[in-house]
Amino acid sequence: MAEKQKTYVADIERTLYDIRNEDHSVYKSESGLTEDIIRDISARKHDPKWMLDFRLKSLEIYNSLALPTWGPDLSELNMNDIVTYVQPDAKMTGNWAEVPTDIKDTFDRLGIPDAEQKSLAGVGAQYDSEVVYHSLQQNMADQGVIYTDMETAIREHEDIVKEYFMTLVPPKDHKFAALHGAVWSGGSFVYVPAGVHVDIPLQSYFRLNAAGAGQFEHTLIIVEPGASLHFIEGCSAPKYNVTNLHAGCVELFVKEGARLRYSTIENWSRNMMNLNTKRALVAKDGIMEWVSGSFGSHVSCLYPCTVLHGENARCEFTGVTFAAKGQDLDTGASVIHAAPHTSANINTRTISKDGGKATYRSAVKVTKNAPFAKCSVNCESLMLDNKSRSDTLPTMDVEGDEADIGHEAKIGRISDEAIFYLTSRGIEEKEARAMIVRGFVEPIAKELPLEYAVEMNNLVNIELEGTMG
Amino acid sequence: MATATVNEAKNLFSEIPMRTWRWLGVNELPMPEQVTGELQQTALQVAAGKEDEVVYVNRAGGAQNLTIDIAAGAKLHLVNVQLAPTDAAYTSRIHVHVAADATFSYTVVEAGARHTASELTVELAGDASRADVWGLYFGDGQQKIDLNYIIRQQGRHTDANMQVRGALRGQSEKTFRGTLDFLEGTKGSVGRENEEVTLLSDGVRNRSVPIMLSHEDDVDGHHAVSIGKMDEAKLFYLMSRGLDLAEAQRLVVEASFNPVLDRIADTELRAEIDAYLQGRLGK
Repeated sequence: MAEKQKTYVADIERTLYDIRNEDHSVYKSESGLTEDIIRDISARKHDPKWMLDFRLKSLEIYNSLALPTWGPDLSELNMNDIVTYVQPDAKMTGNWAEVPTDIKDTFDRLGIPDAEQKSLAGVGAQYDSEVVYHSLQQNMADQGVIYTDMETAIREHEDIVKEYFMTLVPPKDHKFAALHGAVWSGGSFVYVPAGVHVDIPLQSYFRLNAAGAGQFEHTLIIVEPGASLHFIEGCSAPKYNVTNLHAGCVELFVKEGARLRYSTIENWSRNMMNLNTKRALVAKDGIMEWVSGSFGSHVSCLYPCTVLHGENARCEFTGVTFAAKGQDLDTGASVIHAAPHTSANINTRTISKDGGKATYRSAVKVTKNAPFAKCSVNCESLMLDNKSRSDTLPTMDVEGDEADIGHEAKIGRISDEAIFYLTSRGIEEKEARAMIVRGFVEPIAKELPLEYAVEMNNLVNIELEGTMG
Repeated sequence: MATATVNEAKNLFSEIPMRTWRWLGVNELPMPEQVTGELQQTALQVAAGKEDEVVYVNRAGGAQNLTIDIAAGAKLHLVNVQLAPTDAAYTSRIHVHVAADATFSYTVVEAGARHTASELTVELAGDASRADVWGLYFGDGQQKIDLNYIIRQQGRHTDANMQVRGALRGQSEKTFRGTLDFLEGTKGSVGRENEEVTLLSDGVRNRSVPIMLSHEDDVDGHHAVSIGKMDEAKLFYLMSRGLDLAEAQRLVVEASFNPVLDRIADTELRAEIDAYLQGRLGK
């Protein structure tokens, strides 16, 4: 009997992302984590007193918490080797021409200014620990939309920041949330006033250039009642032989009747520990939509959480994870139903190949206060060889009897029947396999803005060949 | 039979094969209270090519500890029924090794006891070995039911099927952890897992953890869970035929249990379980 044929998917094309710049930072904190380092970062960033206190309190919590006892192995991470603050040789500017050449070239290569001209209402670009460029279309600013870096937000909108900052992801949440609270730097602040619809997306791009450094950007988005926003986040870093750490934090507040779509294409280099925390609080009739693509990093722990806090609040989560050689990507989502008639829909695809490990991990919690909650979870995993791993670990916890919860998961390979069917219709086998893999991620690709769908297709640069397995 | 006076492991009875967030409280299966009563410790062997059926009925609580070895080409149907009084505690630990071309067929009813902790581990070690697991649980009042079923698929062309039906009422709590673990080399294997839970009162708490682990690409794994209230259309239909709400509910729950109960050939035992469940459901 002939051996079954294998599909070969080439590695993600990374040339573009791996171009590194010489490190021209004007200041780097010492590696490691001590009170002196925190005080130094805080002073350099001209934090108000409450923020310094917050950082110090977070450090205390960080020191008191243990590493998680589940999930990927984090033993490679040694905080004493990580530089937590790297200040690039650039001042924040609203004029692209003023961005230093090497940094500008990096973002040019990544297509950021091009995208801004074509299809974005505003752009922010962070290089290492600081935001170097920020812009917002005038008509959006005229309607009261605020889009700026977090440092400016603390100076100019201190009351709002103080009210919301790390209330949804408190430092005691887990060890890396505490770390973030202590050393956070950069990130975006978006405020959309009631009733304002930002109909073209805003985008922030995070680039970590320095070796052995950490990036800890904080994203805070508040969408007031009846308003709407689409926010896009992109991340990348060149590859080094030392471990880099990303422990960002995203807090999203979706008010009554508001709508927020948060799209991410994450393509960190393969030396990155990506331990990111994202959470949304959704009020009555609010809608939260997540689109999440995880392609890069060495280790990822990423589970965007949605708290459906008001009646009729809704959430949609769409995610794709591609784990290749040397990657352990532990991704998923969690939803907490905390009000009546809330509903959620989670839809994910994972692909693992060449020894990569992909884990889908989720939690759906229906509290006693959430009668008539509805949640549907669907996750599908495709394994391209038997060196890889694919695990699915969902949990559902339902209190009360007025809930309707469904979960479905599949693990498998490309079926021979599907290939047979397509080839019997005159399609070449190579093309048939490509069609099936594209079809597999299609539900996710179609949720992305066009240029990102193209980027995702480039990332999953699929080279399909029927080789004798 | 020995007497179980102390728990084998006082707090931690069993664990899931891969841990998740601690706040969900599903990583460990605890048995914090002391289990008293009989300790049933049995090793069963089914010789190559033989077929056997073994029936256990527990009406008193206590502890069960079974190791089962099913040799090549053999078949075992194990019927395990637990109808302990609701003031008793009960633990069950079953480990099954299934050789090539052998079949382990399991029918389990977990309906009694104040606190139940049950672990089932099936090793589909041989090529073309099969496990066909059908479980039923019913919780009422203050009952706590903790289940951890694991099927490990190691041989080639193995077949695992795990079907669980349950209903919860009163303030009962249940955690069902069901794992299909496809080990490297288990080529051509299939695994299906399905849990259907009917929620009958607003005081219940249901936790479901369907885990699927895979280290082999040439497999077909599928799991599904559905948690919800009784289908109102079904109730409406039955009530339009003259049944009252309680009767209609009982009929619908019983119908959902039938695929499990129909596997029990002993008519007397079947009648005993029916009467036990009807008595509890009718309350």
